[in-house]
Amino acid sequence: MPPWSNFEPFVVSGLALGGVYALSGVGLVVLYRATGVLYLAFGAVGALGALTAWSLAQAGAPGWLTWLACVAVAAAVTLGYGTLFGPALAKRDPLVKAVATIGLTLVLYGLMDLLWTTSGGQARSLTLPTDNSGFTIGQITVTDTQVIALAAGVVLTAATATFLRFTKLGTAMRAMANDREITATLGVPVRRVEAAAWLGCGILAGIAGLLLADLVALDATTLTFLVISSLAAVLIARLRSIALTFAAALVVGLLHDLLTPVVSLSNYRDMTPFVIAAIGLLVLSRHRVMVQSREGA
Amino acid sequence: MRRLKSLQFKHLARPKPAITAVLLLFVLLALPQLMSLYYVDTMTQVAVYSMVALALGVLVGRVGLVSLGQVAVLAVGAWVAARLLFATGQPYLLIVLEAGLVTMIAGTAIGLPALRLRGLYLALITLMLAGGITVVLATVNFPNGGHGFLGYNGSLVHIPPIRRPSFAASDPAYFRFAVIIAIAMFALVLAHVKTRPGRAWAAIRQSEPAALAAGINTTLYKLWAFALASFITGVAGGVLAGAIHYLYSIGFPTQDSITLLAVVLMGGAYSLWGAVVAGLLYQFLPSLLNNWGVSADWLTILFGIGVLQVLTTAPAGLADQVPRDLARLYRLLYRLLGRLRGSRPREGEPAPDPETAERVP
Repeated sequence: MPPWSNFEPFVVSGLALGGVYALSGVGLVVLYRATGVLYLAFGAVGALGALTAWSLAQAGAPGWLTWLACVAVAAAVTLGYGTLFGPALAKRDPLVKAVATIGLTLVLYGLMDLLWTTSGGQARSLTLPTDNSGFTIGQITVTDTQVIALAAGVVLTAATATFLRFTKLGTAMRAMANDREITATLGVPVRRVEAAAWLGCGILAGIAGLLLADLVALDATTLTFLVISSLAAVLIARLRSIALTFAAALVVGLLHDLLTPVVSLSNYRDMTPFVIAAIGLLVLSRHRVMVQSREGA
Repeated sequence: MRRLKSLQFKHLARPKPAITAVLLLFVLLALPQLMSLYYVDTMTQVAVYSMVALALGVLVGRVGLVSLGQVAVLAVGAWVAARLLFATGQPYLLIVLEAGLVTMIAGTAIGLPALRLRGLYLALITLMLAGGITVVLATVNFPNGGHGFLGYNGSLVHIPPIRRPSFAASDPAYFRFAVIIAIAMFALVLAHVKTRPGRAWAAIRQSEPAALAAGINTTLYKLWAFALASFITGVAGGVLAGAIHYLYSIGFPTQDSITLLAVVLMGGAYSLWGAVVAGLLYQFLPSLLNNWGVSADWLTILFGIGVLQVLTTAPAGLADQVPRDLARLYRLLYRLLGRLRGSRPREGEPAPDPETAERVP
């Protein structure tokens, strides 16, 4: 076992990663609760946004414009998919809705590989100006990007929870999570509320994509399938609790990075989200059979 | 007359045994002679992935269990087969069988706890398990003739190829070998579907509480489906090992499981022919595009659109949709032709019956 000082830098990077997982997870949970769609294209739209931002930066666009473009692209694609396929699949099983978003993932993934090809072996990177500024605690350097990532996770989780609890739109979303039909009968504009949920989820996907492109790598495959790691946190929260999603995301991020200095386990650290999710799901489902309806889950 | 003509197209959806037999004889005897070695290799892969698609079709189409980790199971089968092929001198066929059995045990062991989960949760846990298996395989690597339990030696310079059976050393012969094994697997599934397990699976797919109430042991039959699917996938892995000679963990990424589900849904998860269509989509089309110099990314995009199309409009997939659309096109042409011959319907010919036209698929 290596000494504790070896682990210290990884606490910081792990918390940053956990923060991004948390904000991804919150986006996934909110959309799932409002529309019943588990948005598996979350990583893909984030990647599309990040790659667009990279192209704009190459063309000499100012930083703030590229970040805005990243979020806008992710939000637009998500909202477009939601308005196009959301109503058509609204009455179908959650599993069918989730598999349909795999269709979107494949379309986006193919498109990204086509437009931003990696066959020439060229590596892209997206760096935020906050990478170079920061401070040190003891001997550990903390960049501002890492602070932003964790802060974004905390702030957006709290903001979403407050939004769902206290605003009219948030109340409508929670009502729809319980029963879409009854909510519609009560006069809530169901389609508009769903569109709002899609837009919110898309914005979160854009932010997550931008941060992950900086913290992990700017690569279509990596970013597209990083959503699986966020899914682990969402699954432990059983697609319901935002608070639990946040906590689980931090644990997944922390544990993943803390395993890096442990030589015997270092190669297996990418398994962390899968193992945690598998154990979590199996333990949670020990005393009851999980059903797929949102009401019973 | 009209009805008879449109009924003929039903044969495409459910071919008669004679047509199937002729088709199989053509594939076994003539096809390897007609194709270049490049396409013979491709068609061997098609046979392998048809088996994987068949296994996934059993889970998705018959029992209603969606698995997002089937390629990881295939990797397990290939690993076991490769290890045994390097370690022992057993006949290839026996090793393929053993790979199937070991994979079956592993798949059932995974299926046992996962049985508590349903629908979306089950799909996601298979995705998580596939992710886990992929990470482990990337670390332990495929056997390359080294020693020890894992059989991997990183410092080996001349990696020996994985052997093939002595009677199927050449590519065309191995293709025939793969097709015959695939036929055996299809027959195995057919035997299940037509008998008691098939009926039990159909009941479970319709409604699990109802199946339970009817006295069906749902746990047993769900596990049975997992075991059958893992066995077939393991056998496919065994065939794959000899087909490509060298195995690498990057050949089995987690995202392939997702693409595989997409092509199985596109091909049609409810019919056995859907598995063949899925195999062709998954392996033949990429080779074709590669030969034409078109990027495979277009195919990924096509698969994505295909999934969305299948889920929104054609739940039974291409194997069901194409014959139906062909019949529809034929009827349309027939009607147009009739209209060209004379605007009035001729005497003795019945007027078009919209209800029949709707009913006949």
